[in-house]
Amino acid sequence: MKIKVKKTLQALLFLIPALLLISIFFLYPLVNVFITSFQEWEALGDSKWIGLENYKETFQDSETWQSLWNTVIYTLIVTPMIFVPAIIFAVILMKTSKISNFFRASFFVPYVISFVVASYIWLWIYNDTIGILNYLLISFDIIKEPVNWLGGTWISRIMVSLMVSWKTFAFSMVILIAGLQAVPLEVYEAAKMDGATKSQEFFHITLPLLRPTLMLALIISIAGSFKAYDHFYIMTQGGPLKTTQTIVMYINKVGFEYYDIGRGSAISVLFLIILLIISYLQLKLGGFSND
Amino acid sequence: MIKVWTIVILSIFVFVLLTPIYWSIATAFKPPDEIMIYPPTFFPRDTTLIQFGKLFTAGEGIFVKYIYNTFIMVLITMAITLPTSFLGGYAFSKLAFKGSNLLFLLVLSIMMVPFQSLLIPLYNLLNKLNLLDTKLGLSLVYSTFFMPFCIFIMRTYFSSLPTALRESAVLDGASELKILFKVYTPLSLPAIATSIVYLFLETWNDFILSLIFSSSSKAMNAQVGITIFAKTRFTQDWGLINAGCLITMIPPLLLFLFLQRYYISGLVSGTLKE
Repeated sequence: MKIKVKKTLQALLFLIPALLLISIFFLYPLVNVFITSFQEWEALGDSKWIGLENYKETFQDSETWQSLWNTVIYTLIVTPMIFVPAIIFAVILMKTSKISNFFRASFFVPYVISFVVASYIWLWIYNDTIGILNYLLISFDIIKEPVNWLGGTWISRIMVSLMVSWKTFAFSMVILIAGLQAVPLEVYEAAKMDGATKSQEFFHITLPLLRPTLMLALIISIAGSFKAYDHFYIMTQGGPLKTTQTIVMYINKVGFEYYDIGRGSAISVLFLIILLIISYLQLKLGGFSND
Repeated sequence: MIKVWTIVILSIFVFVLLTPIYWSIATAFKPPDEIMIYPPTFFPRDTTLIQFGKLFTAGEGIFVKYIYNTFIMVLITMAITLPTSFLGGYAFSKLAFKGSNLLFLLVLSIMMVPFQSLLIPLYNLLNKLNLLDTKLGLSLVYSTFFMPFCIFIMRTYFSSLPTALRESAVLDGASELKILFKVYTPLSLPAIATSIVYLFLETWNDFILSLIFSSSSKAMNAQVGITIFAKTRFTQDWGLINAGCLITMIPPLLLFLFLQRYYISGLVSGTLKE
């Protein structure tokens, strides 16, 4: 009994540094964001309770809905752009060998570059007057006139998504590879004996057995898309006409440009709840990540 | 075995995938007038270091300060997070007690709550603690939000190591700290390597936290530094921006090159629970 108590005390001692950090920089702000979302902050730092006023304003504010909508649309565009290459290359590179390890690592290179650097690299490629993309497309006669790639609502959403797909598909790919490797080889051998073709094998064996991992990778990716900030801040500044302003951009605008702490907190709480719902699905499917 | 034609197609794809990075590097080595010409030159005609000279001398070498800040914050974050998550991971795995699972869930819940939703209260908190615009303040925030992943990796790893090692050491009268450092540490190097790459990349590549919690060159990191260089000039100086991008992406790329094995497998095991 004594040994057990000692062990527990020891464990708690080991956990104190972590719990201290978590209490100050996670739990306290978490409680705080809920409290301030029910308050109005005055210039001198005084605050008073105003009930649900901030939430009412948030729900009546069309820019909240616009930002939420922009984020959803972006997620809908970028997710297939990430997952089509991720699935294809996961299937090709599923078996571990020196060659497939080399390709997996090569595909991963853009993933370790920051969103800021990746955004500038692509902004330079997309440049409407002297950019290399326009030059290449014109020399191959695919377009006649230079295109302003980030000038329109839909085209800028697509071009930013293209950059994100380039940067991040490898992450989903390696998760899917882990899922594929968990499928027992006997299943494939049995299918081969029954004379299944490659495409039958893919749609009737690979895809159904991969489903749990695929769902998990999808949810992680969707959660990531909902948090989009850096690349839109740099590539479009939320434009044209706020049509690429994401929800995180709007939180920062209300909180740090308008200094409306109360309403900024209310939008934050809303955002947090959406992400918690997504995370709940993730947890139910059996995985964690903070990416 | 991968077929030859598959390798050819994969190689072409890698080539296409890496071309944007090459294009940025090529631009960084061109003189200003060559950058602006159309049609563009695929290989720099007059290779020059002019852009890097501009980058490092502009604003009395402010970019060097940004890089320095970023390195220091990476080091502080590692100095806080590595021991914290090492001890924590060990406690959750080998010293599990009544209620430890609940505490572990608390740690994991940080991964579920995006720090993007806590920017306003975190700003107020750092303000109260006089830690706004300081490297320590930012590092403490990084440490808190990057720690759960490391604890998770460490716990998983410790759980894969036999408990018998601990039990026999306990019988020999070794203290818990001694067991951890003498017996388990040498065995847990892969998990530490994974955490190091993860912490380096997350801290080095952060943008939003540095943007909001720093307001001067005292604590600003290289990512925010590039955006300042890009914005404060009347016309965008693409030579300068690409030079800044190159310098900023070298450290993470080098680290990845040497430790990619630990990083990729670590990301997978940190994502899939089993």
